[in-house]
Amino acid sequence: MEDDLISKKQLLDLTGISYGQLYRWKRKQLIPEEWFIRKSTFTGQETFFPKEMILSRIHNIVNMKDGLSLDEMADKLSDKASFEKVSITAKEIIERNIVSTTTLRKFGESLGDESKYTFEGLVHLFAVDRLLSAGEMSMEEAELLFRTLEEKVSRLESGSWELFFVRKMGVSSFILARAPAELWFDEGVRLVSKMTYADLIEQLKGKLAYKLVE
Amino acid sequence: MDKHQLPDLIINGVSGGAGGTYNNVNMDGVGKVVGPIVARMFKGNGHMNLNDDLTAEEAECNGVIKVMGNMRFGTLKVDGVLNVGKSFRGDSCTLNGMVSVKGDCELEDFVGEGSFNVGGLLSAGHVDFKLQSQGKADEIGVESLVIRQANNGFWSKMFSGIIPKLRPELCARTIEGDFIDVEYTTADIIRGNIVIIGPGCTLGRVEYREQITVHPEAKVGKVEKVGE
Repeated sequence: MEDDLISKKQLLDLTGISYGQLYRWKRKQLIPEEWFIRKSTFTGQETFFPKEMILSRIHNIVNMKDGLSLDEMADKLSDKASFEKVSITAKEIIERNIVSTTTLRKFGESLGDESKYTFEGLVHLFAVDRLLSAGEMSMEEAELLFRTLEEKVSRLESGSWELFFVRKMGVSSFILARAPAELWFDEGVRLVSKMTYADLIEQLKGKLAYKLVE
Repeated sequence: MDKHQLPDLIINGVSGGAGGTYNNVNMDGVGKVVGPIVARMFKGNGHMNLNDDLTAEEAECNGVIKVMGNMRFGTLKVDGVLNVGKSFRGDSCTLNGMVSVKGDCELEDFVGEGSFNVGGLLSAGHVDFKLQSQGKADEIGVESLVIRQANNGFWSKMFSGIIPKLRPELCARTIEGDFIDVEYTTADIIRGNIVIIGPGCTLGRVEYREQITVHPEAKVGKVEKVGE
């Protein structure tokens, strides 16, 4: 789990923001309280953050800052509803480089009306695309994954899920679990990739933020 | 919004009241309120006990006020003693006296004179405070922090020798901020961009990014420049 966290000091070095900004954003509820994870280290107690989520959130804040006041931004970032209403056309997806052309062409049609994609549909596409473009998954596996997501996610009522992609002896399988989940495998199993719904939507929000500013 | 005029709650003398949504809340004397209060304007003089949350756009507390729940406000003026059982959140707070908060404290502007005690995190835009007795917080995270010791006369010196709590100094575990200017402070770690350490400080470790000034009468364990 250590890799998934980032200390406050590293975060500031990496993003170039200051302590004041971090605390201000927290006060304005741009950064949720739960992301501040306290852990004791050898220098005393330190604060850590879930790495991918905080990095993309800060990226979002910095990019949106020019157009909006902090209060307006807090409203938009906190409520997922405003993103769920967003629909996006295939052309925009390619232009904005949200999902690669290959993925879109292969799976785009099955999401129904080609010109309008919903947020949920886009999350699935995005997940598939991430694994594909990282070279971790073959095209057949991508198909399997996409089908699994489309069929099974709606059954997870809680909304948040985690996806485990594992291989054993060349056979691959996907495991979809309600978040937060911890799984243990036997020795022969290799965990190729793990994705969480929260990470995915956080990154997607960043890419779609321009839609809300307009 | 609807045109319906909200009622006022007025307490004079020794009396009690119920919570609810009010326009003005005026309490003089000794009062006790059961239930959460939401008010546009809250004014308390005397000895007040609220056993739940208090939300007010404008609040003025003179005397001894105790809020058991959370306190939310736009602007707050305190002359006297204010006790908050849970969290304390607002825009600006002008203090002349003492504030004690058990939970977290989130403010944009925090100015005044006296003493404060925050059980959790004190997060603020700007803090400009003159300490007359101890100021205490577990953690402090600010944009700018200026701490001064109020005029330390003979009597104050004499009492602070007997009762440590009356010694005008700031105690915190960590202090983090963009601009930190402190004196008479005890802390484990101070991290900031621009840090000015005044006399009477006892610090374990100071990390700064841009600038540092250390008074010769300050005791600092380790000074380190970080980030580039």
